[in-house]
Amino acid sequence: MTTVPNAYLSSVLSGEAAAWPLGRFNAAGPLGWFHQLRADAFERASALTVPTVRDEDWRFTDLSPLYRLAFRPSRAGGMVSGATIASLSLPETTTRLVFVDGQFNAALSTPALTGNVIVAPLAGAVSDYAAIIRARLGQIAPIERDAFRAINTTYLNDGAFVFAGRNASHPSPIHVLNIATQAEAAIHNRMLVIAEAGAKLTVIEDYVALGDRVYCVNAVTEVDVADNAKVRLIKLQREGSQAFHLSASAARVQQAGQYRSNTISLGARISRETIGIELAGPGAGCELDGLTLINGRQLADTHSFIDHRAPHCTSRQLHKCVAGDTAHAVFNGRILVRQDAQQTNSAQESRNLLLSPRAHVDTKPQLEILADDVKCSHGATVGQLDEEEMFYLRSRGLPESQARNLLTYAFAAAIVDRIGIPTLVDRLHQAVMEQTRTKDSL
Amino acid sequence: MSSALQNLIDQPYKHGFHTDIASDVVAKGLSEAVIRTISAKKGEPEWLLAFRLEAYRHWLTMTEPAWPNVHYPKIDFQDISYYSAPKTKKKLASMNEVDPELLRTFEKLGVPMHEQKALAGVAVDVIFDSVSVTTTYKHKLAEVGVIFCSFSEAVKEHPDLVRKYLGTVVPTTDNFYAALNSAVFTDGSFCYIPKGVRCPMELSTYFRINTQESGQFERTLIIAEDSSHVSYLEGCTAPQFDTNQLHAAVVELVALDNAEIKYSTVQNWYAGDANGVGGIYNFVTKRGLCRGVNSKISWTQVETGSAITWKYPSCILQGDNSTGEFYSVALTNHKQQADTGTKMIHLGRNTRSRIVSKGISAGHSSNSYRGLVQVGPRAEGARNYSQCDSMLIGDRSAAHTFPYIRAQNSSAKIEHEATTSKIGEDQLFYFASRGIDAEQAVSMIINGFVKDVFTQLPMEFAVEASKLLGLKLEGSVG
Repeated sequence: MTTVPNAYLSSVLSGEAAAWPLGRFNAAGPLGWFHQLRADAFERASALTVPTVRDEDWRFTDLSPLYRLAFRPSRAGGMVSGATIASLSLPETTTRLVFVDGQFNAALSTPALTGNVIVAPLAGAVSDYAAIIRARLGQIAPIERDAFRAINTTYLNDGAFVFAGRNASHPSPIHVLNIATQAEAAIHNRMLVIAEAGAKLTVIEDYVALGDRVYCVNAVTEVDVADNAKVRLIKLQREGSQAFHLSASAARVQQAGQYRSNTISLGARISRETIGIELAGPGAGCELDGLTLINGRQLADTHSFIDHRAPHCTSRQLHKCVAGDTAHAVFNGRILVRQDAQQTNSAQESRNLLLSPRAHVDTKPQLEILADDVKCSHGATVGQLDEEEMFYLRSRGLPESQARNLLTYAFAAAIVDRIGIPTLVDRLHQAVMEQTRTKDSL
Repeated sequence: MSSALQNLIDQPYKHGFHTDIASDVVAKGLSEAVIRTISAKKGEPEWLLAFRLEAYRHWLTMTEPAWPNVHYPKIDFQDISYYSAPKTKKKLASMNEVDPELLRTFEKLGVPMHEQKALAGVAVDVIFDSVSVTTTYKHKLAEVGVIFCSFSEAVKEHPDLVRKYLGTVVPTTDNFYAALNSAVFTDGSFCYIPKGVRCPMELSTYFRINTQESGQFERTLIIAEDSSHVSYLEGCTAPQFDTNQLHAAVVELVALDNAEIKYSTVQNWYAGDANGVGGIYNFVTKRGLCRGVNSKISWTQVETGSAITWKYPSCILQGDNSTGEFYSVALTNHKQQADTGTKMIHLGRNTRSRIVSKGISAGHSSNSYRGLVQVGPRAEGARNYSQCDSMLIGDRSAAHTFPYIRAQNSSAKIEHEATTSKIGEDQLFYFASRGIDAEQAVSMIINGFVKDVFTQLPMEFAVEASKLLGLKLEGSVG
């Protein structure tokens, strides 16, 4: 494949030299492994080409608008007021890490170091907990074949580190708030979540923007779920309307571990969620719920891959897309059941609602099954609101537009309700209602 | 249970034999000269040669597709003989003049040529390798104006019709194998149903590959004029060979206003032995164009043979209110690989499509469903329902589902469902408790599994299909 010259790639890779705040490369020092990880990633990123629509995985998501733009590494100094933080924080959470343009902001954060739970910036943690981190960082989301992950790892100097030791749990959800404030910034957020055997964690990965600027978030999240551990990841993507959001989240679930995720994508001009779940131990399970709610000229792409590697694992996935105006929603859900993964139980559903004549959706649920003793199903629908439900509401005196908004809202809100954190659910309900109310023309 | 299943799975290919008939074979290799030779041998008009050469020149610029979920050694396209015809010196006036060896072949296959008339209602255009040897029931069809003949005959006798429609559904540039076929196709079937005619009988073609190492490049073109109706059957068996054979056919269907075409296939080409040696490569492009309003094209296929099956009978629903259907049973065993499915391209208003696909994989085989349902921006009120079920027999087989859904119109309604399952111990136990042994139970379960598709087959074919499935999986499917 020929290399396409592109402004994005050359701008992010040329900025690499400036992105070594930990000091120059030092393979012999105590952080030699960490430097090496980044150096390898840089080498990989330089060798890889960025995906185009010619790649099957990116067929429906044309990133050429991104490639035409040049970005610079995000700088420290983005201003976020206490009032803003207050409006974005949740009363249910007491532990919070705030990253402004990818830089940790200690003044706005409330880290935790209680008993067996650590919630801290990664920059310090790589020294303090080197043994724990070294075995996982960059291991769960491999960079070999993914240019964006390699770029993220090249720029890896800080991020969120969330750790729960054996049988530990944190009393409240952990809020990792990522705020974008600068124009033309390339922001590389990173998160590492580790739940040791029997531990329980809930993490809210939250992306918001101040002002409406062009910037690019390229985030990588790795989650390690040990035997019998339970991790829940709530991902909220509320980027600015001109932003690009590329995100990879990868989870590895060991024996009888449980991983749940709720992914809500509302913002960004072009967004991509790449979700990879590896059910590595017998009896592991995952539940993925996703909602994409877009309008205007937005494009939102969700690619998930559930890899059943061990027997007796279960997976359940429900993804809903609501697209208005000329928005374009993409869903690709791949489920692989390997030969040894007997007694697998897997169900996947993709539900899509088109609100305007020019909105469109591409969905591709994929099943690849190499074991015979399995129960797998998937379903996909594309449609409109139910005529009978509309009739019922109108017979109760609701005008057509209201009836339509109400049903659309209900379609989307069903996913939001599964988040289970009351304040957050309320706020998302508001957001969903606003997005589904605006359009009366149909 | 496992031994019973093993027995079912290990049924040898029963149609494997090779007929010794002297063939007129062109030397191996592909070049413009070979294409000119083929064209000259067949006495073709200039425009058809131009069509072939254009396709060949485009083919040279193309690369073999790598995206299907199948694996095979690279094909050497220069190691294939592109033309072979049974030696027929003169036109045959009656069945008696046909080579007795050939007749015996058909008898072994269970195609009782001399009993065709008694079989009532089935006209068979027999393709033996690449040249049609004989065509029956032609006169009866001619009475109502139906043209049903070999492709070469159609080129000679109905050049205007062929020229008007050839390549309009599958252009020469469509894909690698379609381009190859357009360049070197030797013969095939042509069918034309005039306005308002309901074809009085089901049209049937038996394809047969005979000469070792000769690729088969069939071309089928069916045109249904306004308000006409035709049901077309295609069935395949092949002798047992050691060398892989490439089959790259192209089938084009055109349905005009209110016309209906029903195309049924039973495919049982040699699949290679239990170790995957030999077997046919079946890389086929089949596509129907619902050009007129209220037109309908229905594909039914039963795929049990071939080492590799790679085909997607598709419908382009261009006319308003047109309908496309796809019913498929794909059975793979031993080391067979199948990547098959359909494309439903909704372009007109209120177009409807229905997909029912049943995949059964046993042994070390791999069975993939790959489908596309696309609703264009102007296809108001389009509706699709898809159902893809897979059944796995044995823990070394694989089943895959790759449905693509593209909706570009908000009034589209698309539903896709897929399940994968195996014959469960509990099901077999239920049968056993009713006094039915495992072998019978498996056959009943499989028959139930494929029933939705088999009911779509014409009567004669349903019986044959059931037989083929039986040959493949067990000894006594009813």
